[in-house]
Formats: sequence, C-alpha cells, structure tokens
Amino acid sequence: MTATTLPASARPASAGPLTGTGTLLRFMLRRDRIRFPAWTLGIALLTGYFTTALGSVYTTTEELEAVSAFSSSPAGALFGGPGYGYDAITLERFLSGQYALYILLGTALMALLTVTRHTRAEERSGRAELVRANVVGRSAQLTAALLLTALLSATVAALVTAVLLAAGHAPAGSALLGASAGAVGLVFGGIASIAVQIFAYPRAASGLTGAVLGAAFVLRGIGDMAAVQDGGASWLSWLSPLGWSQQTGPYALDRWWPLALSLACAAATAAAGYRLSGRRDLDAGLVPPRPGPPRAAAWLRDAPTLAFRLQRAGIIGWSIALLVAGLAYGAFAQPLADGLEDAPEELVAVMGGGGNLVAGYLGVMGLTMAFTVTVFALLAVQSVRAEEAAGRTEPVLATSVSRTGWLGGNLAVTAIAVPWLLLVAGLGTGAATAIGTGDTALLWKTTLGHVAHTPAVWLLLAAAGLLYGTLPRLLPIVWAPLGYGVVAGLFAPVLDLPDGAVRVSPFAHVGEYPGEEIAATATGILTLLAAALTALALRTFARRDLTTGA
Amino acid sequence: MTPAIEIHDLHKSFGKVKALDGLDLSVQPGHVHGFLGPNGAGKSTTIRILLGVLRADAGRVRLLGGDPWDDAVGLHRRMAYVPGDVELWPNLTGGEAIDLFARLRGGTDASRRDELCERFDLDPTKKGRTYSKGNRQKVALVSALACDADLLLLDEPTAGLDPLMEAVFQECIREARGAGRTVLLSSHILAQVEALADRVSIVRGGRIVETGTLTELRHLTRTTVTATTGGDARDLAGLPGVHDLRTENGRIRFDVDGDHLAAVVRRLGELDVHALTAHPPTLEQLLLRYYGDDLARTGGGAAAGSRP
Repeated sequence: MTATTLPASARPASAGPLTGTGTLLRFMLRRDRIRFPAWTLGIALLTGYFTTALGSVYTTTEELEAVSAFSSSPAGALFGGPGYGYDAITLERFLSGQYALYILLGTALMALLTVTRHTRAEERSGRAELVRANVVGRSAQLTAALLLTALLSATVAALVTAVLLAAGHAPAGSALLGASAGAVGLVFGGIASIAVQIFAYPRAASGLTGAVLGAAFVLRGIGDMAAVQDGGASWLSWLSPLGWSQQTGPYALDRWWPLALSLACAAATAAAGYRLSGRRDLDAGLVPPRPGPPRAAAWLRDAPTLAFRLQRAGIIGWSIALLVAGLAYGAFAQPLADGLEDAPEELVAVMGGGGNLVAGYLGVMGLTMAFTVTVFALLAVQSVRAEEAAGRTEPVLATSVSRTGWLGGNLAVTAIAVPWLLLVAGLGTGAATAIGTGDTALLWKTTLGHVAHTPAVWLLLAAAGLLYGTLPRLLPIVWAPLGYGVVAGLFAPVLDLPDGAVRVSPFAHVGEYPGEEIAATATGILTLLAAALTALALRTFARRDLTTGA
Repeated sequence: MTPAIEIHDLHKSFGKVKALDGLDLSVQPGHVHGFLGPNGAGKSTTIRILLGVLRADAGRVRLLGGDPWDDAVGLHRRMAYVPGDVELWPNLTGGEAIDLFARLRGGTDASRRDELCERFDLDPTKKGRTYSKGNRQKVALVSALACDADLLLLDEPTAGLDPLMEAVFQECIREARGAGRTVLLSSHILAQVEALADRVSIVRGGRIVETGTLTELRHLTRTTVTATTGGDARDLAGLPGVHDLRTENGRIRFDVDGDHLAAVVRRLGELDVHALTAHPPTLEQLLLRYYGDDLARTGGGAAAGSRP
C-alpha cells in the first residue's frame, strides 16, 4: 500500500526480510572468533583422542573381541550404539560403534548453544533491538545464526573426517562418520530455532532443546538395546536424530541415505522456526510468562532458607539426573562383570581389579559419582560468586544478615546436598545392581560406598569456599584438584602413576567400598580439614570488600 | 544531638584509583540530606562503606552511633537501602523478594507493604526476570519504605521511574521525614533534591566541596537580576560583585554575587525601577559552578593530550 505511493527510488534496492544477513554473519563470526575454533577443534581433538587411546589400549584382535563382547551387551548398546560389524571387529568399527555417539553429542550441544546464543539471548539482552533498528530484515538474525551453525557443522564434519583419515582409517567410513556428526549439528540447529521462538528466556530455550537431545539419546538407546538382543523395538532408533547418524554404520554398512532423514528434519524444523518467528513480537515468547505467588512462603526467612530456595531447582535436577544415571550404571553391573571376564588386564585394573568384579565396579562407580557431585558443589560456589557480581548479595547484606550467615548459609545448604545427592545416586546404582544380580545386600553396600565419599567432596567444597572468601577471582583454580582426582582415581593403573602421586588426590583416601574397605581415620581427617577450611573461609569473607559489577 | 551519619577524613582506594580522598559528611537525624556529584565522584562508594560492604582505608565513620563495618548486622536492623540498579532473583517474584527482605531485616507491616505496592502500582506476582528496570526499582523502594528503619540510604533510588511514580516517591520521603526518619539521598534529579532536601552536600573527586542548606548554598553563588530602569544603569557594571551586565531591548540583565546583593539592590533603587525580577540560582547552576572546572579541566586535559 505504502509502496505504491512511494517513488521507486525511495525504497532501498534490497529491503526483504533477509537484508543484512551477510553483515550479521560476519559479525557473529567475529564475536565467536574464540568459540568457533574451540568447538570445532575440541570435537576434532576428542575424535583424535578416542582413536589414539583405543589404538594403544587394544593392540590385538583378541583384545578387541573380548571388549566388544561387552559392547554388544544391552548396556554397551545403551551407551554406545547399534554396534554394526562387531562380528568381524576392527578398531575403526569399535570406535564408530562405541565412541562416535559422544562426537555426535558434542556437535549437537555446539549447534543448540550457538543458535540460542545468537537469537534468543541477543533478544533478551536488548541487543537484538539495537540491531533490528538498523537496515536489517526481520529474519536476518535467525538466518545468520543458522548459517553460522551450518558452517560450524560443516567444519566439524571436515575436521573429524581429516582426523580419522590421518589415523589411517578407511576413507569412505571416515567421510561418513564426519558427515554424520555434521548432520546432527544441522538437525539440532533446526530444533533450537523452534525452541528459541517458544520461550522468552535463553536458558529455557536451551533447556527445551537439551531435553529433545536427551530424549533422542534415550530413544536410540532403547532401540539399540533391542537391536543387540534382536528385540522388536529396534525401530525406536529411527525416531532419533542421533539414531539416523548412527544407522549409517560407518566402516561397516557405509550407507549414506539415513542422512537424508537428517537433512529433511533440519530443513523442516528450520522452516517451522521461521514460521513461528513471524508470529511473535521481538523479545516475546510464544509461551507467556506465568505469574508467581504474590507472597513468599513462610519458611523463606533467613540466609540459609534463601540459599536453599536459590539452589532448590538445581538440587532437584541433579537428584533426578543422578538417580537415572545410577540406575543405568547399576544395570551395567552384571553384564559388565560377565563381559570383563575375558577383558584385558589394564581394563580390569581400571574397574577395581580382578577379585570381585561387581564389587570393584560398584566401588569405581561410587568414586565416579563423588566426582560428579563435586562438580555440583563447585558450581554451587560459583553461583554464590555470580550472585555477588550481579549485585544481589549487597541488598541482602544491607539487611540484618551477617557475612558469616550469608556465606555459611550457602555453604551449609551445599554441604547438606552433597551426602543427599550421593545417597540418591547410591540408591539408584544399588537398586539396579541388586535387581540385576539378585544380591539384595548390594543395595545398602553400594549406597554406603557412595555416601562414604562425602568428606572428600566437602574438602573441595571448603577449598572453593576459602578461595571465594579470600580471592574470588581465583575460584576457578579449585577445578584443578578435581581434574587431578579424576585422573589419579580412574586412570592411575593405565598411566602407571606412582602410589605417592595418587595419594595427593583428596579422593584417594576414603576407599572405594564395597571393592575396598572404608578408612575411618581418613574420613575423620578429611572432615576436620574441611571444617577448618570452612571456618577460615567465613573469617576471610567477613574481612574483604564486596566486589559488585556496578 | 548526635548526627545520624558522621564521616571524617574518609579514604578509600581501588588499586591505584582514589575513590574517596578525605571525605567529610555529617547528616542530622530527621533530615533529608541531598548527596550530589558527578558520576564517579564517590557517592556510591561512600554509601557502600556506610552499608559495611566496603571497608574504609582510613578515616572515622559513625552510623547511628555505631561502626558500619564492625556493627553491620545490628545497624542494618535500623536502616534500609535502595541501590540505583536493582537486581532481583530471576525466578523469585517481586512479592517474594519484598517479603524476604522484610524478614531478613526483622519483620515488617504487611498492610503497609500492600499499601505501598498499591501506591507504586507494582504487580508482586511477576518473576524477577520479567520486571522492567523501573519495576525492579519499585520492588526495592517498597521493601525499604515498608520497614520501620531509622535511616534510609538511597543511591539514585528513582532512576527509571516515571514522573507519576516520582511524585509518589517524593510523597513517601516526606512522610518518612514526618515520622522522624533520616534520609541520605544520592540523586541526579535536581528537582527531586530541591523539593526534598533539608541540606545538600556536593561531592567531587572523592571529597565534599560544599555543604549546607540550599539557601546557604545559593548565597554562595550568584543571583540573576533583570530590570527596566528610567535611569542609566550601565555604571552598575563597576560595582563589586556584578558580572556580565548587558542591555537587551531596553532591559538590563546581570548576575550578582550573594554577598553583594544588598548593596546592588540599594543602588538599583535609585535608578527609577519600572520592573524588576531577581531569581536565585537553580541547583543546576550551583552544580555547574562546582562541576564547571571539572568540565574545563577535562576539556583542557584532552587538548593537552592531543598535542604531540
């Protein structure tokens, strides 16, 4: 209407919904100049690590055959894949069947985070409005974000292929494995482009896409478990975008056509994303925000309850995740013990030695859960620091809450959550093991073995608290002992680490019950050390200035 | 009477940056004390030291008779704080945040809370992340004004509020003063300070450059006089304290220093005055006088810097 009344020269030559896409894409590449290589090279390095590590651990076909017996068990299928070509196992088939899944997961995460970061997060921060006020078309930002994701996915495909070729694997399978990874990136970019239209908050949008990714993992897991048992539900794998990429069967079937499903899905989801984006306002979601309670619950009344209120959602989420992971690990126990009877010596050593394989395995799982719960604890301290930096601590300390009360309340909530999460994880692992093996005593033994690691986690929590209280900028340092603990705890036999070096890790003292005994003295000393560091943390935090971003 | 806030020779540095450089401030109980100064002058640093979240490097600070660092918790029961940039928890509603702050401070009057929500037109059921800046500010204002604090520390409390809410805010502060509370009001809205403040302190470069009632401050600076006279007024220019005398359309106009106002008006009276207006300097003019050399200095600094 307006256009007919305007002289043609008054309209810019190009004024469609895509105007400015090229400029935006270049700008995004500039913003992501670190992230782009970090993601793509990171995934390529992961691939390189898998192929090198497998090549050095399994040097003979007999060893491969032994471990593939485990891999073609239902548990192996759940955490690996359908395992095509295991009847005539080669290193590259084992790699593609058991480890390619994690390359796919990495690529999917890269794609979903990239799309959210350049669309919904930009809108939420208000920057999208500034951009849109220029000569930029309505769909330019979404298009540029999807193009960037496509570019990232293509780079991952090329780099993964190159790494596999460099390792001397078959060219056809290597190119297919690379392309499978790239295809997953495209699909999850498309799915993310729908999710960012639905929710107005970046975290909710990423969470929705992440949930789809989780569902895709579980669907293909059940399908693949059925497949290795010749069950009827193997078609479930074909409902999962991860499944399509795995059904190509690199190095075994070498078929390309399942990727057509991926491309069609990516195109359809992206088209849906465009359609939905045309139906909403800038910065609005399709789901309107719900009102909450006008009054605070009666129990929300002091520093510890506030800390609990802020950590509650996280604790619930971690509890569910650890319970599910525990059940899955527990279900592993019996098939794993059967599979490991023929496994190479190094692998048996990692799993806690040959004596009692199930007890050793459960001990290692307890240690693994302790590492996972430590991640929870360290993230909790980091979010305390984020509260301070965002300026939300200052108004709380402006009330009659003391420094000690504030930090003490936060650390106390996390400290209580630690044995709780270990308990949940232990019950999950123990229950599934007890059902699988028929040995009910393993339920409480496993649970005890998990909860016994509490003092070691507390020690790292207290160390994080002390860093936060003293020099909050150095807080990330506390991840180093955790990383060392993982290496020393899980890989010491493979790496041939001397005993003294292993004992430096705070996780090396409690003992991996039921595989080993629980060391009561060490437990006591770790607890006392944690208490001392916490007391010091509270003292130092009471003496320093608050560092608010403003 | 003991001052509600007494600061003497306060120093605070962040690394090499001197935020406060010998600041003195005294706020009488029951007063609304305006705290003015350009960005980065040290207003927020002073308020954060009073809150006990920053520790003074040197100097004496007394707040309601206590030490703001050592007695922080006890003092905070008797005071309330509103920052200029309110951050709320994204997943707690405004109502939950208000209740939480009230309980952390030790109780509040629920009916007053509801009345204030009404007056500030605040919807307490929205989540923190959905509030606009103005609405986040209202959450902090409601929770500060709903409590029985003896002292209100307000750091640019109405940034982002619309004029209607600004009027509500001014009303609330007058009520607070009526109830005998002390208010330290840091603000850039000069009309707000002019309307509310009993006394004003102007801070620059980490120290107070002027303090007093608005009347006293006005006395320190110039009054603008416009007059139509029968006689020739041009020799007024020779009087001490008269500046910038000029004639516009048969009217004369000049600025006169506060100290010489009486003498000049006496002289003017002899000149057959037909019409006369004299208006005192606005707070804006007062401030520009104090920040003026700042502008000149930065201007000069830039010029000096550009020379090779």
